[in-house]
Amino acid sequence: MSISHRQFRAKRVYEVTPRGGQRELRLSDRIVELGDQEFDWYQKVRSWLPSIRGLADLSKDLAMDEAKVPKFLEALEKSGLLYRVESPDKPMTGLEFHGAFSGILSSWLSEAFEHPFWERMMSGRGSARLFTGWLIELYHYTKNANRHMPLSCAQSHEKPIKQLRAKHYAEEWNHYHYFMKSLKALGFTEPQIADSVPLPMTLALSNFMRQAARHDVLAYSVCSAVLEGTTTDRGTYSPYYQKSADLYGVPQDAVTPIFAHLDLDVKYQHSDLFRDILETVPVMPPERASLVLDYGHQLVEHIWLWTDNIEKYYQVDSNLVPRRPFDVVLD
Amino acid sequence: MSALPSVSTVAERPLLKRTVAVNRQPGRVVLQHLRDEIELEGAAAQLFSKMEAQLDGKTPVDAIAAGLKEKPARLRALLGQLEKAGVVSLLSANDDAKLTTGMEFYAIHRERCLYWLEDVYRHPLWEKIVTGKASRAQVLGFAFEKYHYIEAAFEHMGIAASNASPEMMPHLARHFIEEYTHGDIYRRGLRSLFPDDIILHSQPLPSTRALVNYLNECAARSSFAYYAGNELLQMTENTGDSDAGKSVDDFYGAMRKHYPYTDKLIDSFIAHTKADQALGHADAFVLMCESVPPLTRREVNDALNVAKNMAEHLVLFMDGIDTFYDRFATVPRLPCDLKSE
Repeated sequence: MSISHRQFRAKRVYEVTPRGGQRELRLSDRIVELGDQEFDWYQKVRSWLPSIRGLADLSKDLAMDEAKVPKFLEALEKSGLLYRVESPDKPMTGLEFHGAFSGILSSWLSEAFEHPFWERMMSGRGSARLFTGWLIELYHYTKNANRHMPLSCAQSHEKPIKQLRAKHYAEEWNHYHYFMKSLKALGFTEPQIADSVPLPMTLALSNFMRQAARHDVLAYSVCSAVLEGTTTDRGTYSPYYQKSADLYGVPQDAVTPIFAHLDLDVKYQHSDLFRDILETVPVMPPERASLVLDYGHQLVEHIWLWTDNIEKYYQVDSNLVPRRPFDVVLD
Repeated sequence: MSALPSVSTVAERPLLKRTVAVNRQPGRVVLQHLRDEIELEGAAAQLFSKMEAQLDGKTPVDAIAAGLKEKPARLRALLGQLEKAGVVSLLSANDDAKLTTGMEFYAIHRERCLYWLEDVYRHPLWEKIVTGKASRAQVLGFAFEKYHYIEAAFEHMGIAASNASPEMMPHLARHFIEEYTHGDIYRRGLRSLFPDDIILHSQPLPSTRALVNYLNECAARSSFAYYAGNELLQMTENTGDSDAGKSVDDFYGAMRKHYPYTDKLIDSFIAHTKADQALGHADAFVLMCESVPPLTRREVNDALNVAKNMAEHLVLFMDGIDTFYDRFATVPRLPCDLKSE
């Protein structure tokens, strides 16, 4: 049987951990162990798959008889590291899609929050300045919900989904006040914060949500679900805020409003909203399901780079906090 | 300087611009602003030091003079020089009513953008590529992200043309029509390494998406502010200036040396630069500035804030390639589907 790279694609690997002369590759549903040589081969296959190079080139890269290469690819497929592109996906119901999404959400969140910033903050190598920066950007992100949440209502076509999205907006639109309260407890004035300029990646998050809202309300909703996924239970956020407060001398008054905000999200059961929306979707063609999923994963990557942007800006002592807009007379 | 004359009866309140850094040395004061340094010596340095604390934009010149027991004329003379040098603003109640002509704006924009672009040129990714320290993923990622950015002309230039103000429409229409094929020039280079359908379906980094979406949002909202931001991006292209041309040639030379597989990619980068040069885009913004009605302070600030934000988005674009491809070395980036996760 002839085999080509166009038949296969690589599954997402969320983590590679060296362990006793082996590598553990963590997928969303399993861990695959590879020896050093197999891992090297696997990496060569990964870069060969989307290339224009032929099977003979791969065989040379792997120093493996060309006749044996298809077997190796099939072995990688069996292990779960590769999948076949041509096997057709079937349409699914909205609830079936929710099941698939729920199965990968925790892997996605681990990817979003694996940025070294979090470990740095939790281990005492962070600073009050970084904590403040994170809060300022959260303020902007939350306020910018007013740029995308109503847009998602405007772009929805199905009444039940419009309704659910509008209710969510009504419950969330003014939550930036919680962050304003925290920032005031840190000594900032209201105009200083309200007139400040968000980092480009903070703005990018809301611009991406606007893009999703215009494209497909389910694409928008999956992004919203990824974000709400971070607040499903107190265990996910409590340690960061409390420990930062303890480590960096952040006054309790600055942390209390954040917990109040997160508790409110839990009370409103916003993490169930995506399920409620999908319940109204009788069928999702595979193309739409893939598109929606892809938006969700792009949001995960946005969160990672957002964190990076915050760390890079606020760790520099000479950078202004908060960031003010440019004025041709004053600057 | 402005379309409306300032009214001399209005008390002027001097402000040392917020972006000025003051360095004191024995017998002299150095004021750093943008790319300039203004040196004050002797009596001028002494007088500046005496009044510096009151250059807060709240106190009239006469009141400062009275407090310091100095002649107002002496203060005015120095403040006038400092205003000319661009480090002091003499605030008055008329500031918001002043209008700036398009060509005055052009000069301010150019001066500021050259300064804001310094962070882009200082980005460590350039050095990594030139010295061969960048990884394969970073180098190929650089090519892909450039492609995605150029290909996004369809998005932001299309949105800009379709939302254009009357005086900006001919410029924005022409720009879109001249640019929309340029992504294909980059695609030709990428096809030396990747199949066409993979390139077409590949996905930009969030940081590249951020730059494109920012352009899209500005294009929908204000034609002039959008182009003020776009012009900053155009200023990074090699427009034929011999010094800039040499550094670009050196960059590509080093890239070819360290990453021989990028040969065809670099050919496509150069082909794109030549295509841009042939179109004379360097003049487009001057023509726009000549054609816009005088701008209010609010409009000037809006357009300059967009340009400043664009520079920050450009740094983010570079950061994304440097940091994201270092941590997640998959290139090209394909969209996920039901089986990939």
